[in-house]
Amino acid sequence: AGIIFPERPKLKFMDKVPAVPKVRREPRQLRDIRGPSQVATDFIQGQYGILALGGGYLHWGHLEMIRLTIGRCMDPRTMFAIWRVPAPSKPVTRKSLGHRMGGGKGPIDHYVTAVKSGRLVVEVGGRCEFGEVKPFLTQVARKLPFPAVPVSRDGLQRMREEEEEKKLNNQNPWTFERVVTANMLGMRRYLSPYDLQLKGRYWGKFFLKHRV
Amino acid sequence: APAAKMAALSGGGAPWRRGWLPALRFVRCGSKAVTRHWKAMHFQRQKLMAVTEYLPPRPAVPPRCLPREEEALEEDNGYVRLLRRQVQEVFRDYRMIAVCQYNAMPGEDVVLMRHYLQKYDIEVKFVLNEIVRHVLSQSKYKTLLPLFVARNILLVSRETKVKEMLRVLKGVPQVNLLGACIDDTILSRQGVENFAKLPSLEAAQGQTAGALALLPSQTSSLLQRGSVHLTALLDHHIGRLQAGETGSPDEPGPEQSAGDQ
Repeated sequence: AGIIFPERPKLKFMDKVPAVPKVRREPRQLRDIRGPSQVATDFIQGQYGILALGGGYLHWGHLEMIRLTIGRCMDPRTMFAIWRVPAPSKPVTRKSLGHRMGGGKGPIDHYVTAVKSGRLVVEVGGRCEFGEVKPFLTQVARKLPFPAVPVSRDGLQRMREEEEEKKLNNQNPWTFERVVTANMLGMRRYLSPYDLQLKGRYWGKFFLKHRV
Repeated sequence: APAAKMAALSGGGAPWRRGWLPALRFVRCGSKAVTRHWKAMHFQRQKLMAVTEYLPPRPAVPPRCLPREEEALEEDNGYVRLLRRQVQEVFRDYRMIAVCQYNAMPGEDVVLMRHYLQKYDIEVKFVLNEIVRHVLSQSKYKTLLPLFVARNILLVSRETKVKEMLRVLKGVPQVNLLGACIDDTILSRQGVENFAKLPSLEAAQGQTAGALALLPSQTSSLLQRGSVHLTALLDHHIGRLQAGETGSPDEPGPEQSAGDQ
């Protein structure tokens, strides 16, 4: 029913290092972990996927684990899987072990992809039920460096609806958003300017699901 | 930092800024905004997070005040049906059924108790409360319902050997008798003890037979009382006559005895 199968059902191989390795070392820029994701938040082709509930970096080991586990557990005749996450492109430097501070920035060690909370990592689809797909998706989700859950299209929609409902039927007249936008009691002295957008649901790379 | 802020504001004549970035303050404190560990929040922020927590809507009537919906065991479960059938058979076949409270006993004590009771043909049955309650509520033994709460066992037998059973149970402190149903009569603990004190059936039968036979035995003596009395009087008279002949002739004696009759 309107399901488009890609050419290859299994996940594509991702390389460790991009085709053109980066020469210039990049600053850390941890803001690519912080806050909610703006890209890859909705389903494209598949019906089920893994949703990230926290920020983190995925390196080649994680991607290989995902690719192999899903490739092993799914049936390529009836199911397919697609990546929603690009190949690692952000270089991460590491200084060699046992050296003192100083002496410049270390050389590039490996490449990672940044994932923000609310982003889909992989999508699985085809002629299958959520019950079939859920076991190995939970297995994969547990191994990721950030908290993740397997979701279906309905599940994701229900999550979003529940969030809206919670926001509407919250009996507490004081919300983080209200306090921050009005700067009540001078709270902005202790909060970051990013809290205006993050609204108390995010703290560092963590996503606080139970808030609001 | 506060001193620097004051100096900047007062010295520079800068217009009053709407927000004050804490960037200056926290850079010197060490870690960045995004850390691998859970970064400790400022206490004011902790308080704000605590105040702005989500409060779910509460129903007008708390759910514990509403009548509780209890889910009954499904009848379709074959195992449940089998257990119910077994309990019904027990109630039908056995003459004496005693309900006892069962506290935790070491295994060997249970075996010993079972052995002693086996000698008097009393069986020990462990039952599940839900099944027994269901069976009892449908049968005529409604009064036994309040007994089946918490752990209990059934001591069932075909003969009513209450005295021996009580003797064994006295030796076992962990099993307490609650009540019994003997020959379709429900007895409480006192009732069972009284029942034990009663003499056995044969003795009771003998007693009733003796009591019944007492009256007929008396009737014969009652009937014979008149003639016995006459015989006694005549003997007395004969004795007196003989005594009168030997002593002096007593003519009014026979006249007196004739007048008495």
